[in-house]
Order: sequence, then structure tokens, then C-alpha cells
Amino acid sequence: MNELSTYLIVAAILFSMGLLGLLQRRNLIGMLISIELMLNGASLNFMAFNRFLAPEPAVGQIVTLFIMGLAAAEAAIGLSIILALFRRMHSINVERAQQLRG
Amino acid sequence: MASIFLQDPILPAVALGTGLPFLAMALILIFTRHNPRLSSRISIGAISVAVVSAVYLLVKLHAATAPIQYQTAWLLSDTLTVPFGYLLDPLSLTMLMIVACISFLVQIYSLGYMAGDPGFSRYYAFQSLFAWAMMNMVIAPSMLQLFIFWELVGLASYLLIGFYYEKWSASQAGKKAFVMTRVGDVGFFLGIILLTLGFGNLGIIDINEAARSGSMSSLLITVSGLLIFCGVIGKSAQFPLLTWLPDAMEGPTPVSALLHSATMVAAGVYMFSRIFPFFAASPDAMAFALFIGTVTMLLASTMAMVTYDLKQVWAYSTVSQLGFMVMALAAGGYFAGVFHLTTHAGFKALLFLCSGIFIHHYHTNDMRVIGKSGGRRLVIPIACMTVGALALSGLFPFSGFFSKEAILGVLAGHPNKIWLAAGLLGALMTAYYSFRLIFFILFPAGGIEEKAGHAHHEDIHGHEAHEGDHGFTFWLMVIPVMILAGITLVLGFFQSSFEHFLVGAGVDAHAGEGGHGAGHYVLLVAAVSMALLGILGAWIEFGRKGAAQQGFLSKFPRVWELFARRWFMDDFFRRSLDRFVYGGLTSIFTRNDRRVIDGGIDGLCFFTIAGGRLFSFLQSGMLQYNLLVMIGAVGVIILYFLI
Repeated sequence: MNELSTYLIVAAILFSMGLLGLLQRRNLIGMLISIELMLNGASLNFMAFNRFLAPEPAVGQIVTLFIMGLAAAEAAIGLSIILALFRRMHSINVERAQQLRG
Repeated sequence: MASIFLQDPILPAVALGTGLPFLAMALILIFTRHNPRLSSRISIGAISVAVVSAVYLLVKLHAATAPIQYQTAWLLSDTLTVPFGYLLDPLSLTMLMIVACISFLVQIYSLGYMAGDPGFSRYYAFQSLFAWAMMNMVIAPSMLQLFIFWELVGLASYLLIGFYYEKWSASQAGKKAFVMTRVGDVGFFLGIILLTLGFGNLGIIDINEAARSGSMSSLLITVSGLLIFCGVIGKSAQFPLLTWLPDAMEGPTPVSALLHSATMVAAGVYMFSRIFPFFAASPDAMAFALFIGTVTMLLASTMAMVTYDLKQVWAYSTVSQLGFMVMALAAGGYFAGVFHLTTHAGFKALLFLCSGIFIHHYHTNDMRVIGKSGGRRLVIPIACMTVGALALSGLFPFSGFFSKEAILGVLAGHPNKIWLAAGLLGALMTAYYSFRLIFFILFPAGGIEEKAGHAHHEDIHGHEAHEGDHGFTFWLMVIPVMILAGITLVLGFFQSSFEHFLVGAGVDAHAGEGGHGAGHYVLLVAAVSMALLGILGAWIEFGRKGAAQQGFLSKFPRVWELFARRWFMDDFFRRSLDRFVYGGLTSIFTRNDRRVIDGGIDGLCFFTIAGGRLFSFLQSGMLQYNLLVMIGAVGVIILYFLI
């Protein structure tokens, strides 16, 4: 049970759920949460590979920390964009934001 | 190629003399446009240096036995070398002298004539441009350099004709002159190209040498000679292209004196004499030139007999005298042609400058009005103008007598006597129309109309009063005129030494020069009596007391109209322009423009717009569709790398 493939499968499930959510949700907050899920899936991959294939160097952990920082920054920017959009549209539904339709 | 030593003072003298006017033009246009006094001083200073260097070169080289040539390679291409430099032989030295001196005198004169004109600086800049281009053309050692400066001279002419560009007719005349001379220049350029292809060298000395020794095929000489002669037709206003010159009188009068009578229009004749041995090697080209020259001379004389415009008369007379020079050269009289060019430059500049004084004074070009307002009271100008008219008619002891005599001598030596008869007829008409003008001013019908009051008072005092009024500017104009009159008076007596200088110094002693001799005396009497007959005719019709001042031509209104409308040549050009250029060529180009170019661009725009419409369907504006496509693409890339 305590194998690499288990972690990879869990990470893949996390990533796929995130992707599905990202494509399917119309709520911008929901999309943002889905992106977090995808990032977590990726982090889990890094941690698992680090743990099983290269125990000594902590590169995978550093990348994971990096991804967490990235996620924080992304959430800040994403939320502010959502806030700006809400002020303009009074909605956070992406279907309402279609001004760029050709 | 005889290259000369650098320590020799000739090179700096030439460079200084012919380069400074360009510098003057640049200085005036860039720095001193708003300071007319300084501009005129710069320009006159430059031309003075040119005069000094021309005199120096003439004195230093008058005994030189061989032409002095200096050139450096300018353009190199495979087998063709285009040199740049100068060629000094008696012909170019003479012409250099004429150009420098008359430019100098005209620039001095213009100080008075153009005083107070808003374009004063511009005027002097263009004058310098002209002087530079003309002198460089004169000393050109190769046909290509000659052609380049030939075109620059045309540019100066265009700028100066259209000097009063606010005036519609002036700007039109400038364009007309430019386009019409360009028609001839196309032929000239084709001739040069043909010569380059067929002979491979454009050096004037080489061309002449090859033509003389017969190493050039006669077909090449004839064809390229005829093409090059087109340039002469355009520039020197010969038969089909002569109507631009009378229109060019829209420019300021000093410009007409310098460019459109004395020097620039003589450039065609100069070029003809420059490669005279080349032309002389082709009898067909010479016969054609003789025909064109004769037709030009006679046509222009008839036109001069009916116009009332002072400057127009002299313009037609210039055309006619240029035709006369071409006749002389084409009949084999190298010396006669060049001598007439020299004397004509003097007395025609004189005539124009005198007319300029009248025009400046009375603000009209109409000779009848000038006569009625008392033109003869300007004693010095009218006296000088009479001197010029006598020279133009070819009467002893004025310079025109000698040169005209020389030309008629050459024509008499020609086997076909028709040309001699035409020459004598031309002399008759020349005397008639010149003295028609003189008598109009001297003896106006019904006397001088006295103006009332103040003007009357002024008129009583005559020219002294005017001189007092105008003072300095008047003398600025009169002194160059008097100098030119003096030159006209004495130049003829230097004929033999000039002939020795020009022909004896080894340029080309051509047969036919001494062909007369026995018939010379008869010819002299014939020519002078023709001139006197012309003057007598003018006297009977315009000069004597109670003369009708109508002229015998007014009895034939049809003929009068024919002459006055320049033998309908302008109408012919207009008509053919409308039919062939606007109706034929231009309509094709218009259609090409509308259909092909406009249509092509419209089509391009249409396809761009349609393509944009098509692609805009991809822009759904839905964020997640874009995302889906992106992820799908990434998936495809992954699949591609995995498999």
C-alpha cells in the first residue's frame, strides 16, 4: 500500500478532478479552487518522486514549497481580478463575461 | 590621357571658378535667405572669382597647342569607366568666358532690377546654381558629365522661369519649358546610351577622334548623331520644340537675358560644336540639322514680325539666331557657328537687359505703350538697344555683322544655294522686326502722350530726372548695359584672332571655311543690302512721320493670325497631347490604375476582412472553451512525444 504508484494515482485523481472542475464550473471562485486542486496534485507528484526515487536531495520539497508560494500569489491575483469583474458585472459567472466574443 | 601636374595652378583655378557658385548657392539657401544684401554679395563674389579664373585660364592657355584634359574615374563598371573632370580647349575656354562674364554682368544688373523683390535671396541662389551648372557643363570632358550638367541647367532654367510662382502663367511656362526640353533630352540620352553600347567610350576627345579617323561605323554615327541632335532641338528651341522659349519670358528679364538668350539656350549649339567632328562624319545628320536650323530660323522670324511684346520679339529672335547657328554648324562652318554664338551672347544679352530697363521703368511689356509713354527719353538704354538691334541685323561695325557674314560665307560654300537664300531672307526679316520694335519706341504714332500734373513735370526733365529719382539702381542697370554695348561694338574686330585661336589652335580646321573668297564681296553687299532693306521696310511702315504703324502683314489677317499663333504649333501640341497622350496612353494607365492597382488593393482588403469574419467565429468569448482547446492541444503534444 505504501508505494509510489498509490501516490501517483491519488495525485492523478486530484489533478483530473481539478481539471474537470476548471472546465465545468461557471463560478470563478470554483474555478480558482479547481486550479488549487490541480496544483496540489502536481505537488503530491513531486513529493512522491522525491520520497521514493531521490530520498537524499530535497529538490522535490523545494519545488513543492515553490508551488505553494505560486498558488498564494495566483490566488491573490485571481481574487483581485474576480473582485474587479464583480464590481463591473455584479456577477462572478464566466458566462456573463463574454464581451470579447467575435 | 594627358593628366596634368597637381602643382599646376590650372586645376585649382578651374575648381575654384566652377565650384564656388555651388557653394554660394548652398550658403544662400541654408544661411542667408533672410538677408538679401548678404546673399547677393555672396553670389556676386563667387561669380567674380569665376570671371577672374576664366580670364586667368584664357590668358594662360590661349597659346596651348593641345586640349588640356584632367579626369578621375568616378564610376567604374565592368568595361565602362565614367570619368569626371575638365577639358579645356579653345571652345570651352571661350564659352567659359562668355558664361562667366555675362553671368557677372547680369547679376550686377539684377541688383537694380530685382531690388526689393521678396524672393531676392532665392533669385541669387538660383543664379548661382545656374552659373555652377553651366560652367561645369562647358568644361565637361565626357558626354555623360555634359548630360548631367545639361539637366541641372534645365533645372535652373525651370526654377528661374517659374520664379514668380504665384503667377499661374509663370509656373505653367516653367513646366512647359521643363517638359518640352525633356522630350529632346530623352533622345539625347538614348543617343548617349547607343554610343556607350556601340563605342564604349563617352570621352569627347575620343568620340571626335574616332569619328574623324573613321573607326566608328557610319550607321552608328548617323543614328546616335540624330538622337543626340534631339537634345539640341529641345535645349536650343529648334523647330518642333521651339514654343517653350517665348513662354519662358515669364521669368524676370535678367533671367531671360542670361538663360534664355545668351547662354543656356546656346548650350545646345555648344554641344553641337563640342562634338562637331562627330556630327561632321555623318552627312545625313548634318543635312537633317541644316534643315531643322533653317526651318527654325524662318519660322521664328515670322513670329517675331507680329508680336507687340518687347521680350517676345527678342525671344523669337533668339530662336531664329540659334537656328542660324545650327545652320552654320550643319553646313560645316565650325568657326562661323561658334563665332556667332559668341557675338550673339553679347548683343542678345544687351538687348534683353535694355528691354529690362524699359520694362522696369514703365511696368509693361507692350512696345506701343512704352513708345507712347516716352521710352525714347531713356537715352542710354534706347541708344544701347539700337546698337544691339544693329548688331542683330548684321550691320557694320557691330559684332553681328562679322559673324553673320561668316555664316553666310559658309552657306555660300554649300553646294545647295537654297540655304543661302534662306539665310538672306532670314537676315531681311531680322532687320525688319528689330527695327519695327526700335521705331515703335523711338517714333510712337501720334507722339508721346503727356501725362498730367506731376508726371508731366517729371517727363519734361526726361531721363535726368529719372536718374535722379532712381539714382543708384538705375546706374546699376545701365552700366552693365553700356559694357555690353561696348563689347558689341568692338568684338567683331577680333574675328581673325579669334578664328586663329579657335581653329588654328588645333581643334578642327574644317573645310568650307575659306570656301568663298571670290564671291565674298558680292555676298557682303547682298547681306548688308538685305539688312538695309529690312530696316528701310521697317522705316516706311513704322518709322517715318505719319506712318500707320500697322505693318504690311495686318493686310493679311490670316497670315497675321498664323504668325501670331506660332504657326498653330501650340494648338498642334495641345491637340496631339489631348488625343494621343490623354486619349490613348493616359487612358490605358488610368484603367490600369483603376482596375489592376486599385482592384488589387481592394481585393486584398476584402479578403482580409472576410478572413477576419471567418476567424472571429473562433472567438467565442467563453473562457473555458479556450481552456479546453489549450488542454486538448497539450494532450495532443504529449501523445505525440509519447508515441
